[in-house]
Amino acid sequence: MSMKQAGGNRKPGGINSGAAAASGAAGFGRQSLGRGRNSAKVPSAAVAFSGVYANMQMVHVLTSVVGNKCELKVKNGVIYEGVFKTYGPECDLVLDAAHRKSPEPSVGPRREDIIESIIFKSSDVVVVHFKDVDLNYAKKVSSEQDNFTDNAVSSRLNGEHKEKDLEPWDGGEQHASGSLESLDNDLSNGWDPDDMFKYNEETYGVKSTYDSSLSSYTVPLERDNSEEFLKREARAAQLAEEIEGSASYKARVALENDERSEEEKYTAVVRDSHTLNRENKYIPPGQRNREAGMSWGAGRQNSPRLVQCSPGPPAPRAGPHDYGTIPGVDQRVVNGGPPRMSPKSQRTPRTHRVASCRGGGPSGADFMSQGASGEVTAPPPARSSPSGGTWSSVVSGAHRPRSPRQNSMGGAPPVPSSLSSPQAGTVPVDSMTTPTSATSPTSASPSPNLAEAKESRIQETRQNSPSANKENVKPMESSSGISRLASKGPPSMTPDHRKQLDNLKKFSVDFRLQSSSNPDPVFETMVSKAPRDPGEKPKEQATDKSTTDATESSICDEVPVTLVATAAGSKPSTPSPSPSSAFGTVSEQKRGPDVTSQGVQTSSPAVTSTLKLDKDDKEDKKDPVPESVRKSTLNPNAKEFNPRPFCSPPKPATTPTLPRPQGQPSPSIVVQQPAVYGQHVCFPQMYPLTPVSPGVQKSIIWKSPAMYHVPVPHMTLSQSKPYRTGKVPNMPQQRPDQHHQPGTSTMMHPNTAAGPHIVAPNPAYSTQYFTCSPQQFASQPLVQQMPHYQSQAQHVFSPVMQGSPRMITPPTHGQPSLVSSSTTQYGEQTHTMYVSAPIHQQYPHPSATLHHHPQHPQPSATPTGQAQQGTQHGGSHPAPSPVQHSQHQAAAAAAAAQALHLGNPSQQQMYSALAPTPPSMTPGPNPQSPQASFPSAQQAVYIHPSQVQHGYNPNHMAHVQQAHMQSGMVPTHHGTPSHPVMLMAAQPPAGPQPPMPQGTLNPIPVSSTTHFSYMAHPQCKLLVFLLLNIYESKGFNFEQLMICCAR
Amino acid sequence: MAAPGPGEYFSVGSSVSCLTCLGQRLQGEVVAFDYQTKMLTLKCASSSGKPNLSDVILVNLAYVSEVEIINDRTETPPPLASLNVGKLASRARTEKEDKLSQAYAISAGVSVEGQQLFQTIHKTIKDCKWQEKNIIVMDDVVISPPYQVENCKGKEGSALSHIRKIVEKHFKDVESQKSMQRSQAQQTQKDSSLSS
Repeated sequence: MSMKQAGGNRKPGGINSGAAAASGAAGFGRQSLGRGRNSAKVPSAAVAFSGVYANMQMVHVLTSVVGNKCELKVKNGVIYEGVFKTYGPECDLVLDAAHRKSPEPSVGPRREDIIESIIFKSSDVVVVHFKDVDLNYAKKVSSEQDNFTDNAVSSRLNGEHKEKDLEPWDGGEQHASGSLESLDNDLSNGWDPDDMFKYNEETYGVKSTYDSSLSSYTVPLERDNSEEFLKREARAAQLAEEIEGSASYKARVALENDERSEEEKYTAVVRDSHTLNRENKYIPPGQRNREAGMSWGAGRQNSPRLVQCSPGPPAPRAGPHDYGTIPGVDQRVVNGGPPRMSPKSQRTPRTHRVASCRGGGPSGADFMSQGASGEVTAPPPARSSPSGGTWSSVVSGAHRPRSPRQNSMGGAPPVPSSLSSPQAGTVPVDSMTTPTSATSPTSASPSPNLAEAKESRIQETRQNSPSANKENVKPMESSSGISRLASKGPPSMTPDHRKQLDNLKKFSVDFRLQSSSNPDPVFETMVSKAPRDPGEKPKEQATDKSTTDATESSICDEVPVTLVATAAGSKPSTPSPSPSSAFGTVSEQKRGPDVTSQGVQTSSPAVTSTLKLDKDDKEDKKDPVPESVRKSTLNPNAKEFNPRPFCSPPKPATTPTLPRPQGQPSPSIVVQQPAVYGQHVCFPQMYPLTPVSPGVQKSIIWKSPAMYHVPVPHMTLSQSKPYRTGKVPNMPQQRPDQHHQPGTSTMMHPNTAAGPHIVAPNPAYSTQYFTCSPQQFASQPLVQQMPHYQSQAQHVFSPVMQGSPRMITPPTHGQPSLVSSSTTQYGEQTHTMYVSAPIHQQYPHPSATLHHHPQHPQPSATPTGQAQQGTQHGGSHPAPSPVQHSQHQAAAAAAAAQALHLGNPSQQQMYSALAPTPPSMTPGPNPQSPQASFPSAQQAVYIHPSQVQHGYNPNHMAHVQQAHMQSGMVPTHHGTPSHPVMLMAAQPPAGPQPPMPQGTLNPIPVSSTTHFSYMAHPQCKLLVFLLLNIYESKGFNFEQLMICCAR
Repeated sequence: MAAPGPGEYFSVGSSVSCLTCLGQRLQGEVVAFDYQTKMLTLKCASSSGKPNLSDVILVNLAYVSEVEIINDRTETPPPLASLNVGKLASRARTEKEDKLSQAYAISAGVSVEGQQLFQTIHKTIKDCKWQEKNIIVMDDVVISPPYQVENCKGKEGSALSHIRKIVEKHFKDVESQKSMQRSQAQQTQKDSSLSS
């Protein structure tokens, strides 16, 4: 090739066109060079096998004689002798070191007679005589061992042309002991290490210094209940789940644990006596469980962890926690993990782990307590709840982590409070904590997982209790729904915890101020909920609910109808408790999140029902919403999407004030303390998310088709909106304000606000944002991802993204559908969403973008308010369509942002978020806009392409950034075309560079450049924020981001 | 011309006999045939009589006459074994180098006998080289023209005695080969004369 290319290059240098030169070169190579033949093949390679190469026999025989000396007679009778080198497709022959054979016999050629290589055209060749050829010379004998496989043995006909029947070898009777046979019959699993040490010591006087604790190599893990540890443990569990959930892992484990020996698998000899007792042989951990009848994932996870708690696989599950209802748990798991069996199994294992951990310490107590509470209400349910709870917790643990993160992101405060309270005892939500503490105490003992588990448990318990109650009514739903709910809840919790830590600390004071009132409402809601949920999880639920915040409350509310219904019911209750707009919003948001989360989790009919209920509620609220308060309520709906991510919604619900601060922390903060909070709060949640989400959505949509163009317009719109909302909004007021703000002015604010925020708060914010988005998403399929996100581990994200995306996507789809199903209106919205989506695409086009921009700005204004807080979305929803749109966009943006940050998982989340946004876009005006968020599912479809791309994060980032830039540019600044172009240029690099590293790198530069030009613009800042978040998620250096920002 | 028609194919495994335009009679088992290039590959018994080896003849049927199928394939040929291309390539390289080194010696004016001896020794002992017209084996034994056993000189020892044995055997083999070749040549001539 190289030669040819070189030749080609030379020739082109002359007159020939490149192609002609290339072809000529190829031809030349054939004729001139011995090796040219090989290269010559290249041209014909495209045609597959041409000429002789298509003749298998010819190819085989000619290849077999390569390297043999031969005499080649040419037409004119001249004989050439040389080493057969190779042959061409036209059966041209190449002889190396060939010389013209002289008539004189046995006179060797002189050096000068030898030609390096000669190519003989087949038409010139008469006969080629290869003498003394060993046709078996090059026959591949794979290896010596192959001579002893059954196949090889049986293939040795040894003159007999019949298939050889292999007979099992029988060593005879004399193999009593010490013989080969004894090895097969030896049931022991080799030497016990202690026996070895003992033997060596007795026989050789060697004393081993072996320490089973391996203290020389490692340090024992100190378990504590610190948040940090819990977080780490949770993350470890998540990672383990991811890994163990991967198909590759399972495939490998299956290989490793295949009980059949190699002999069994490949032998052609059937041994009746082959059923050797392997009881005493070493059995891989995974296999051990397997034997228990567990699924691989479950078995594995269970086995190790279970082992700790209890020996048997089933026992572990049930045993550790004394949940006799293991089966139920499994079912739940299955139900909970509908989207992915493996994930579920993983989850279950995790749960087991969690359970085991907990079981080892406090966890057991927690479970017990929960189970007890559940049992109190309804024994059977209780069992299921406990078991389910554990499972769900486990499952949710996986999911929860995500959701928690989301929650923490969005409504981190509340959730964190609950979570933190148990684990770290978050300061902010004392009231919250108290309830949670009740639940948490039990769970608290366990590790971080415990915290999640607690949450999950709480949720589970709640669910269980509801489920129990429900189960009485609707057993099926309860089980599945519960598990889902539980799972959802917990995730939110975990994230919250994480976020809470930071957020709570920062906002603890503020939160308290708000929370003080909120907690009460929450409790009230809880109480009210409890009543509503007849005989639901009485105490635990109440406490849990309070702790669980909105999610629980939502659950409780929904409980009446179904689990979902309970959530809806809780919402009503929450609203009541939180009369204030903020509360209402919070509650709504919480509800929304809960609903979404529940819906997502349940994904089953129950979810849909809940969603519908929620929607109905929302709609009802929305109708009233037009007012600030109602809007707030509407926002709750909107928040559902965002809130979910926030998870905080739940928290807020429990502690309304807290939730807001947490969930809406940024907004609230901003409002309250513009300077301080504004930066922090705004960034994380609203701005980044909203802008990002729109951009993301757009970007995503665009990406699939024409990534760059479209994204930009959207970005601008969405960005402006989200930012504004995010920054400005205080919970209730903000929303209205935002709505009013829809104008460009809001745009500016957000940007400005975002800009600063971006720079400073990056880490926290990013996390918050992520968490928020995750939560939102989490509510949907994303939940699973959420945990990862929550765990924050940027690393986690990447893995999650890769692994989870697939998993997640289905759920998201389901969710969207659910959403739509829940409210017919929503379905319409979804349609509208689609429309909007197209519009977005149009936007990419310069002209289109312009038109759209105007529209977007309005939405953005409202959205910003919504965007500000995931929960706010709900509130915003109440507001007229514009707000909704804005909210949706914001939500979508947030989701998108999250997605961006998160990467694949985020993408999925993005979908959900996106879906909402599109609806909002089209429906914008309609009150249902909140619901519009649901349409996200449809949008999700659009998103899919983007999701598909793993590199999206970078790309998304770039896109988003660009989008932001463009958005900013287009409306206010210059003509869209030029900007788009800019974006295009910048984006293309990112797009091409799907790989994370490259993509990220490129995006960064692009963003930086864009930033430079646009930095002045708020959007730029937003972009920066988004970028930062993304980078953070990816583990990029903030410094770089900072630098970019600085630029 | 008795070249096969377009529709005629040689089935692998059948025995074919033909006469080239150069008057050479070829006969062997069909190993492969390519219709496009009219190239037919035959496998025959080794010309050196070695049982585990065989001669392979590639014939261009465009220059062949009197093609006749002695007997058709009796059974399906065995599946083609995969080939170790690397091994083949290395063999080609080695053969080429050997030939070039041999040519070097020849160009140095070494007698045929010397060259043949060198090749024989080289098969057993790689560490041999030409020094002018002398063969240096293992830097220890020098064989000077006319390369007879008595021409082997060096430090008395196992090495020298070993080389002498090789040289002695070489000339024995050469003699026997010559006689065989002569007889074969005569036979082939007779055959050709008879057939023609």
